[in-house]
Amino acid sequence: MTDATPISLSDVSYFYGKGALKKQILFGVGTEVNAGEIIILTGPSGSGKTTLLTLIGALRSAQDGSVKVLGQELNNAKERALIKIRRKIGYIFQSHNLLDSLTISQNVQMAMRFNNNSGGNTSKQIEEVLERVGLGEHMNKYPSALSGGQKQRAGIARALVNKPSIVLADEPTASLDKQSGRDVVDLIQELAKEDGTAVVLVTHDNRILDVADRILHLEDGHMKSLTEAVSEDTSRMLNLLSKHDPSSASYLASFAFALARVAFADNEVTEDERNAMQRILRDVAHLDPAEVNFIMELSMMQRLAQSQMADRAGDGLGVDRTKHFVESLYEIARADGTVSPEEIEEIRAITAEFGIAHPE
Amino acid sequence: MSRLLPLGWLQLKHQPLRLIAATLGITFAVILICVQMEFREALFQSAVRYHSAMDHDLVMLSPKTSFLVSSKQFPRNRLYQVLGHADVESVTPVYMRLGSWRNPVNRASARNIFVLGFDPSNKGFARIIDEQQHALIKLSDHVIFDQRGRPEYGPVAELFDTRGPLAAEINDRAVTVSGLYTLGTSFGLDGGIITSDLNFIRAFPKRSKSAIDLGLIHLSPGADATEVQRQIIEHIPHDVYVYTSAEFREMEVRYWNKTTPIGYIFTFGAIMGLVVGFIIVYQILFADVQDHLKEYATLKAMGYSHGYLRGVVLQQSLVLAILGFLPGIGISYLIFDKASAVTGLPLALDQNAAVLIFVLTIGMCAASGILALRKLQAVDPAEVF
Repeated sequence: MTDATPISLSDVSYFYGKGALKKQILFGVGTEVNAGEIIILTGPSGSGKTTLLTLIGALRSAQDGSVKVLGQELNNAKERALIKIRRKIGYIFQSHNLLDSLTISQNVQMAMRFNNNSGGNTSKQIEEVLERVGLGEHMNKYPSALSGGQKQRAGIARALVNKPSIVLADEPTASLDKQSGRDVVDLIQELAKEDGTAVVLVTHDNRILDVADRILHLEDGHMKSLTEAVSEDTSRMLNLLSKHDPSSASYLASFAFALARVAFADNEVTEDERNAMQRILRDVAHLDPAEVNFIMELSMMQRLAQSQMADRAGDGLGVDRTKHFVESLYEIARADGTVSPEEIEEIRAITAEFGIAHPE
Repeated sequence: MSRLLPLGWLQLKHQPLRLIAATLGITFAVILICVQMEFREALFQSAVRYHSAMDHDLVMLSPKTSFLVSSKQFPRNRLYQVLGHADVESVTPVYMRLGSWRNPVNRASARNIFVLGFDPSNKGFARIIDEQQHALIKLSDHVIFDQRGRPEYGPVAELFDTRGPLAAEINDRAVTVSGLYTLGTSFGLDGGIITSDLNFIRAFPKRSKSAIDLGLIHLSPGADATEVQRQIIEHIPHDVYVYTSAEFREMEVRYWNKTTPIGYIFTFGAIMGLVVGFIIVYQILFADVQDHLKEYATLKAMGYSHGYLRGVVLQQSLVLAILGFLPGIGISYLIFDKASAVTGLPLALDQNAAVLIFVLTIGMCAASGILALRKLQAVDPAEVF
């Protein structure tokens, strides 16, 4: 359990403050993180990501639920037990948090104090880890002499020198430019995979989501799947669009849908077709390229879903499913009180299109 | 377990300007404490110069005598009475008085001088004047002069060294300075001369030989001074005090310490130095802890205990104490060199005082370190994320 699943949370709740000012930050959060897995924790500010990270890092204790880290239950654990767990975790901080008065190698050395299995050559280990993060030449410099990216890499070396089985990172790219940020997460990913370390990384930065094996989304203290989060974001985006320029957006939507139908006609969309669609849509619409892309992708997804549905329906959806499909259509039609002839007509058209028999 | 880094020292070293400022502050405090304590010490040391220089086991004094220079007389017979005790070997009656000394060069200037008379055939002054000088003062109106007295008495020592015995005046009576001794000034007296009991009476004609100011009592070897003192007190009338030599010095010190504000002022000065140093170190350490709060929180998140951080701050206070103490004590020595040359006071730091001041400095720094540590309690490792 310890080795395969270093982190296991179940039904974790956390409150700030006391009495009337008590505020719940986390609501029954639960998940497990396996060795070698990189988890990215996203969510808006104030959603409780950082609180969750500090709970895993043994820096706080949750009031409810269970936080098990490296086999040790941290809830209601004594300060001594918490300190012991902290020593086994590698931390990467938002703004590197190196000690200004120590050189880079001394900073790394500070982390090795509790490393019981270092087995001797401290300075060699420091040299190795700094070589790994590409700071071999800067060992004896002070942090103030390094760039932001270099400092963050030194912070990573410090977190990894003891080869911990858990690494926690809080916005490691927040203070870095795009390229340094990319380099830093690539480095974390590479090192984590090599050492089989479980990584929990909190970030706002969408550009680095791809390094994750799994993305967890926190919103107002509730854990959500990424799909939930994306669909909420999408409907919010659509609302925004129809406020922004409703006529243009709806024209564009139908235009894009038409283009997508053509593109999918041969059941495959090539890169060339995609680029051509993008160019045409951008020419007709007075919207941002990003908004155009968004509408295009939605149309393509809709078309894809439709064509797959039609394929599968042809193969026979099964009696139950077919019945449910048609009943649902009538349920929507009935929702405004009456079923009009136009609505019946439309339902017939849909079932015909999907190749489903319309019950009389 | 990996080699430990001296984090406290490294943090201090990383900000050399602050380190220098802190060191100077503590140096200043150490000098302040040294000077005040040493002036206080010098006051007491100088006040008992004659007490320590005169050879005796017990002394006899009038109960009205509260310090040496303002001694009151008591009957000489009381002193001779103690000769009846088996363990008393000999006694020396001593006469003391402030006389008026005329400057041999600038004759318009007259100044009070401490005059001390005793029978040169008795013992008690061998540590102050030599045998030849003992013989010289048997001559009428011959005196021995303290060459460490204030310069206002005139260049007596220089004149004596170049021309030999010189003529001077005490209480308008012509005397001959036929030798020099070396003792020095104190808060109560600016200079002194030693002569025979007969010459003393010549200079102070109103004084009677049978009323003395001080009796030196010498015991036979191996006698227990406190025991003899107890027995003497039992057998003589209580119109005189008999002191051991420690009590004799204590009386003088008590007078200057308690009945004049001088001792109090210097003690107060030393405490002020301690307080100033304390505030300086506290300010420095507090600012240092404040600056490093984020780093300390990071260390806590990495698994360092509160005790470790406490060690870091105390290490800093210890380093500051040592760095500030060394130049402080060095500069104090220089100051004492100059000051003792100017004032003639016995200003020299002895080892005990230096150790005491070092302990005080360490204590001062550690106390301010502990106070600065209270800021550290607030360090929450969860804040670093």
